[in-house]
Amino acid sequence: MNLLIVLLVFVSMEGATWLIHRYIMHGFLWVLHRDHHDHSNEGSLERNDLFFVIFAAPAIALLYRGVQQNFSNLFFIGLGISLYGMAYFFVHDIFIHQRAKIFTKTKNPYLLAIRRAHKQHHKHLGKEKGECFGFLWVPMTYFKMYFNKK
Amino acid sequence: MMPYTYILINFFTVVICFLASFDRRIKFNKLFGTYLLSATVVAIPFIIWDIWFSSMGVWWFDTRYTLGLVIAGLPLEEWLFFYCIPFACVFTYYCLDQFFNLAWANAFNTLIVFTAVIFLSVAGLLYYDRIYTLLTVIVTLVTLCYLHFVARREWIGQATFTYLILMPGFFAVNGILTGSIIQSPVVNYNPADFLGVRMITIPVEDAVYGYSQFLLNIYCFTIAKKYINPEP
Ligand SMILES: [Zn+2]
Ligand SMILES: [Zn+2]
Ligand SMILES: [Zn+2]
Repeated sequence: MNLLIVLLVFVSMEGATWLIHRYIMHGFLWVLHRDHHDHSNEGSLERNDLFFVIFAAPAIALLYRGVQQNFSNLFFIGLGISLYGMAYFFVHDIFIHQRAKIFTKTKNPYLLAIRRAHKQHHKHLGKEKGECFGFLWVPMTYFKMYFNKK
Repeated sequence: MMPYTYILINFFTVVICFLASFDRRIKFNKLFGTYLLSATVVAIPFIIWDIWFSSMGVWWFDTRYTLGLVIAGLPLEEWLFFYCIPFACVFTYYCLDQFFNLAWANAFNTLIVFTAVIFLSVAGLLYYDRIYTLLTVIVTLVTLCYLHFVARREWIGQATFTYLILMPGFFAVNGILTGSIIQSPVVNYNPADFLGVRMITIPVEDAVYGYSQFLLNIYCFTIAKKYINPEP
């Protein structure tokens, strides 16, 4: 049961991330997200930092309340958000933006697909006309690009 | 032999790194002055913390293991601790950085800070009444967030990796101090002031405390080095 909650939260966090990215970061909080697209980077705030707060703040609150209530469901919801956040930073920093010189030559079709899709997202320097707002799940076309044999 | 216990721990922590400093490929001896300066800057707040906690009885020292010289409530050996331990740490970091490319570890910066922030915040909120736990959590949180978001240091992952490599040394030194091999601990903790979770004999707080002390030492050392010994 608890495992199910964690899994469910993890999956819905991908949806929440898509919505937040699509309508908030490319919406009224575009000022904070812009520098990650055009790499102007003047300010001290970048998108990752904003996502950091979005993942960390509710996770901390839920884990805390959950432990107080003797590891109630809240704890496992918090755990799901934490794990999603960890997966997000892991995938986004390491595979997509190639922060490390590891896995650069990966042939894993899933990794190639999400990297390709995120690169596509970065292609648009403007606030409007974005695509591929998801992170761990991207439009089918990108999976088809790498999963299907040519 | 017993009164020499703590001073010998300090001595053995330093001696190998000290001798290796003169190696032609390392030449860390040229950075001794730089190290002393940066270590002092970091030591000041940590020694104040130490004096404060000792006076409150959060922890206390068994003076049977020390030479007997006590300054501001701390044995001389404890003062030296804030130079000897960071010396081995900074030296190790310096050498690893010089001989290996550890930049890959920095890809984990955000992940490390994210995980630590969640873990530490929850621990701090739950156990705010244990002063050692609370203060360790606050200091580490502030250190990590400052380094990552404000100072934007790129080496957090690399430093964390080095800290993991130093773990056997940490377990040896802190293990003896907390009574692993000797009959009774050199440093004793008030059970009401910390979680009571011990790794063998070492309170978990010690590992987190050591981590923030380590990060701050690297931070100050790299700054001091940049200004005093700029690379040619
Ligand atoms: Zn975007
Ligand atoms: Zn980018
Ligand atoms: Zn990106």
